[in-house]
Amino acid sequence: MLKNYLKIAWAVLLRRKFFTFISLFGISFTLMVLMVVTSLFDHVFGPQMPERETDRLLFVNNLREEQGEGYSSSGPPSYYFLDRYVRRMQTPEKVSVHSVFNPVNSYIHNKKLALDIKHTDQQFWEILDFHFLEGNPFGAQEVKNASRVAVINQTTRKNYFGTGPALGQTIEVDQVKYRVIGVVEDVPVLRIQSYADVWVPITLKSQEFKDTGLRGSFFATIKARQAADIPKIKEEYARIIQDVTRLNPKEKKQVHSYPDTILESFARNFLGSGKEDKVGFLYTMLALAAFLFMLLPTINLVNINISRIMERSSEIGVRKAFGASSNTIIGQFVVENVFLTLLGGLLGFLLSAGVLALINDSGIIIYAQLGLNLRVFAWGLLLCLVFGLISGVYPAFKMSRLHAVEALRGGSK
Amino acid sequence: MIRHLFKLIWNRKKSNFLLITEMFFSFMVLFAVISFVLYNYHNYKKPLGINYQNVWQLSFRSNADSMGQSKAIQEQMMQRLKSFPEVEAASLAHNNVPFSFSSWSMGVSYGNKESVQTNNYEVQDAYKDVFQLSVDQGRWFGPQDAAALHASVVINQVLKDRLFGEEEALGKQIKVDDSTSYTVVGVMPHYRADSEFAEEEPALFRRINLEKAKPDQLYASLLIKVKPGTGVVFEEKMVKDLSRIAKDWTIEVTTLEKMRQSKSKLTWVPMVAMGVVCGFLIFNVALGLFGVLWYNINRRYSEIGLRRALGATTRQIRNQFVGEVLVMATFGLLLGLLLAAQFPLLHVFQLSAEIYWQGIGAAALLIFLLAIVCAVYPSWQAAKIHPAVALHEE
Repeated sequence: MLKNYLKIAWAVLLRRKFFTFISLFGISFTLMVLMVVTSLFDHVFGPQMPERETDRLLFVNNLREEQGEGYSSSGPPSYYFLDRYVRRMQTPEKVSVHSVFNPVNSYIHNKKLALDIKHTDQQFWEILDFHFLEGNPFGAQEVKNASRVAVINQTTRKNYFGTGPALGQTIEVDQVKYRVIGVVEDVPVLRIQSYADVWVPITLKSQEFKDTGLRGSFFATIKARQAADIPKIKEEYARIIQDVTRLNPKEKKQVHSYPDTILESFARNFLGSGKEDKVGFLYTMLALAAFLFMLLPTINLVNINISRIMERSSEIGVRKAFGASSNTIIGQFVVENVFLTLLGGLLGFLLSAGVLALINDSGIIIYAQLGLNLRVFAWGLLLCLVFGLISGVYPAFKMSRLHAVEALRGGSK
Repeated sequence: MIRHLFKLIWNRKKSNFLLITEMFFSFMVLFAVISFVLYNYHNYKKPLGINYQNVWQLSFRSNADSMGQSKAIQEQMMQRLKSFPEVEAASLAHNNVPFSFSSWSMGVSYGNKESVQTNNYEVQDAYKDVFQLSVDQGRWFGPQDAAALHASVVINQVLKDRLFGEEEALGKQIKVDDSTSYTVVGVMPHYRADSEFAEEEPALFRRINLEKAKPDQLYASLLIKVKPGTGVVFEEKMVKDLSRIAKDWTIEVTTLEKMRQSKSKLTWVPMVAMGVVCGFLIFNVALGLFGVLWYNINRRYSEIGLRRALGATTRQIRNQFVGEVLVMATFGLLLGLLLAAQFPLLHVFQLSAEIYWQGIGAAALLIFLLAIVCAVYPSWQAAKIHPAVALHEE
């Protein structure tokens, strides 16, 4: 049965090539845009090198202090807070404390390299899956001794050392010389927790350890033993924050800080003003935007489908005269339409691969390697099905209600 | 004739409903995108009021240990900078330099009027030379203002209009709170330094008096104007020299040109993306419209044949079909206008009404154009129908 439907669908597609082109163009471009957006979304929030095991990772990057009279300030927490409270948490497997990335300059052969530097501890390298092309990360010993060693990324290696050797050489950043001990693959800039061009031991920034305020310029990355531990870690963290609030009763009325996944922290900082969890809201907004965007192409496709199905009214008439129920006919047209959208989706995939390559080449997003993977593919498939069903059901429903006699005569006027 | 067309469409409103909805949504999309583009374009055309060519920004991050000597260190830095022949002018400032991502605002008021939020800049006398600012009423501040009872400030025309209206501003005092007032000594015609695509906002400049500053006062930015053609070789030398003065500070150098580019990227990347998506949507709609019209006209073969047999010219047939499409577009537009007109009437998003009306006009024009382009070929085909053939088929 299904095979017959597909055969008919194929024959219909070939019959009116111009209409087929219009349908396929609309479907493939709509899905292309959606897939590029999905890929961007995945690039920012999905599991990706070096944050591969996202279901076990939590990030702390914001702390908000609220005092009376509506005065509040927020920003990254201090080393003091993270070292004293977060590092001593019981539930996580490992906790890493590292600085935010800071822009610095480096000069080589009368050329300027604007680099971003990040100060990290050794756990940083254990928690995150950096892909080392050469050498190794620095360990506990180097961090303890505050050695001037650095891990650099691929692009910096190329710009600074060219094709010559890099390991063991010195790189001068912000008037300080570091010995290069490792080279890693580029990390996309949107991964603010792990991104940098140069990573050096955190102890080189020890003058900032003394500041006992809660706000500073440090992040923490927390790794759970297993994904199921995440809620427990969040609970423990909430208890810590309560303690901190209690210990500073004088001026600070309220302290807010949360360990979040990448998506949660984005939603919280941009939509929930650093306090509320707004993931649901973010998803609703995204779904609404996708719906609005798909609305016009869908109406367009419905319009075309109606015209195309009208052409086949005599076919429907014959089938009805031989006893086919309305549901059978709706089923047939929906299958045909889903087939068409899947075909369009396939084209859309090819197109989006091209567009993503263009975005990567253009360098609009630094170190971005946008690509299509299984997750994006699955989302694309889902979008195709939704699109196909929405645009197919109404015309099929309309046609199925035709009376056999009228349909045989050539459709309703 | 036109009434007749309206009647025809109205009678088939059910089957034309989808086409009308499509026109409606296309109009709304076009209206939104065109208004956004127009807004940015209007802003882009206005003067910036600054010349950012060959201006560099040095930004500092000090560390806690040397906090107490910040002022002394920066004084030394200024001395050193002035000794470089490549540097034409230099001024300290806070982080809110042109094209930066930070801003600092405060409320000021004049007389008994409501207070006005204004951007607040604290700069040195040489800031005027760095950006070649022009002051058309009064003067820029200078050393003679050091002893003034109420600090001298220079404001831009936008702030002058909001505070004083038609009144003369020079010499007047504006109030921040009960204990602080400023004297206006100059008005500059334009200062629009947030982004090339941003609207001009009120601006107020105060004078940095380094002698009176506290010892731990740190100005996070230093702006210098260099001689044309000065490059990275000088930059490296300068940073090395300054690092010797400010040990353990991080000094970052960037050009205002680069900052302008990254700031304007924030506007034009979404604008291009929106434009491309909108263009695709409209093209998609056009194709669909074309297909549906073509199909509908084919279905009305016998009607056309009959009209032709009764003496209608090809021209009349063509006009009828183009007319029908335009009537449909009008229905869609009327619906859209009902919604779009709320934007200028209710001042949604703070855009000026003029931009919204221009957007509505342009979107309507494009929709009509789209409808005509899509209708011309199918109606030309319809007009070609030979009456004898059409009637014979019937």
